[in-house]
Amino acid sequence: MLIGTVGVAMGSFGALRFLQLGFGDILNAVLWLAGGVVVHDVIIAPLTLLVTLVAGRLVPAPARTRVAVALVVLATVTVTAIPVLGRWGARPDNPTLLDRNYFIGWLLFAAVVLLGTLLAGPLGRLRRSRQVRVSQSAG
Amino acid sequence: MKRPPVPTEAAFTSRLRNERLSAGIGMWLGVSFGLCFLTGLVSHWYYLPDLPVLPPVRPVWGYQVTQGAHVLSGIAAIPLLLVKLWSVYPKLFGEIPFGKLRPLLVNLAEKASIAVLVAAAIFQLVTGLANSSGWYPWSFSFRSTHYAVAWIAIGALVVHIAVKLPIIRAAYSEPLPEPAPEPLAVPVADPLAEPLAEPLAGPAATDQPSGRGPSRRTLLRTALLASSVAVIAAAGNTVPFLRKVSVFAVRTGEGPQGVPINRSAKAAGVLTTAVDPAFELTLVNGDREVTITRADLEAMTQRVHQLPIACVEGWSAAASWTGVRFADLLDLVDAPENASLRVRSLQEKGAFGVTEIPASFARDPLTLLALKLNGDDLSIDHGFPCRLIAPNRPGVMQTKWVNRIEVLA
Repeated sequence: MLIGTVGVAMGSFGALRFLQLGFGDILNAVLWLAGGVVVHDVIIAPLTLLVTLVAGRLVPAPARTRVAVALVVLATVTVTAIPVLGRWGARPDNPTLLDRNYFIGWLLFAAVVLLGTLLAGPLGRLRRSRQVRVSQSAG
Repeated sequence: MKRPPVPTEAAFTSRLRNERLSAGIGMWLGVSFGLCFLTGLVSHWYYLPDLPVLPPVRPVWGYQVTQGAHVLSGIAAIPLLLVKLWSVYPKLFGEIPFGKLRPLLVNLAEKASIAVLVAAAIFQLVTGLANSSGWYPWSFSFRSTHYAVAWIAIGALVVHIAVKLPIIRAAYSEPLPEPAPEPLAVPVADPLAEPLAEPLAGPAATDQPSGRGPSRRTLLRTALLASSVAVIAAAGNTVPFLRKVSVFAVRTGEGPQGVPINRSAKAAGVLTTAVDPAFELTLVNGDREVTITRADLEAMTQRVHQLPIACVEGWSAAASWTGVRFADLLDLVDAPENASLRVRSLQEKGAFGVTEIPASFARDPLTLLALKLNGDDLSIDHGFPCRLIAPNRPGVMQTKWVNRIEVLA
């Protein structure tokens, strides 16, 4: 109850600050606030369900864990790279900003994820068989 | 034409979604949002010059660390939030108890509070991430809006934790049931979503890998792995030894004289005024005015200090600055020890052409009016003919192209 009250107080302070922003800013910010939820709930989430559904049919059962881990890492980290991949913040007068080849970077990142996914199967089997051997020799 | 059916909460039957996963990811999300909020407050502190307690002048790398942590904790939260939203997505389709007023009101209040939390959380991460790359695709003022919504987000998060505390407690206090026998006979459509499959066992009976998809614990670890990878991929901005592996860092750390820049001389509109040989720096204390040239500045006692330049966008770079101790300049017009200063720039365009510097920073022995960077005269983009550099202060307040320093009463 106390925690809830503290939360309401903090949120109310924020709401008060928000309402002081001025009409134009409030309108535009509300658009962005609602937009984020809509983009997630209407596009990202259904797309995720579709991908998992398709992947679930295509990927054989033993590899599903590896593929799921790879897809989650690949997709969520790529989301964090959207602004640099799009380069929308680049300015011609400032070459020190966005000064990497982010597309090559993404390919490298995807290659590392792919490599990890391919290696995870054999490595996992090796580890399991070793554990079995250790437990046998201990027993 | 038949309308496609709206799914119900029960239509989502992934055995991975349950309270323990939501609570586990929620805890990490709470840590990253908490850190992000606190470091954000530290940064905001610098923009409030009238507070009775000012930011400290030490450690010199303070702002570098807090603002680096601010941006990176926000980036860390993105994979966590996406997995968290996935884990609770079916709740969006939960049944609304129409008919009975009290349960309906409680239900709608909870939905509204969640809507506020999700909207504010996504908003903060999207605007913060875009801002860190210099991208402003909106028309509202970034700083005041990001600050207001930060309080809304953290308030809604605290309310959310308070409301969910019984569920969190229950999720952790109950032992996980024994893993169900391998469901060999039942064909399973997919490892994560399974909207077609029957729920096979109790929702919590999935801690053991069953060979048909990730376990719930694996999913939590995956979210943490993705979060760590995202941080490493961005951290080269502020952690030098990660520069080579941070493929998504906004800056490589390269730049004129080995230091990146944020606002160029061209963007500030100082391309001609900054290199004008007639440049003079004016020091003002009441009706006393002293004007000095760059040659005069060079003739004063020069000091060399290692100070980081740490930007609000989360990047930072260490550098060696040479110049005149700021306090020595203030003594030229007998400025009182406790007076704060107004520093003006030649800059004609963009914010922060005029900043105020409190006495604690202005009088600090490390604070310089720098003439050189890493041994060479400042390049025009780094603030030639002279710029302010103080310890533990946001880069945007390290005024470049300084041409006037006024003592405030």
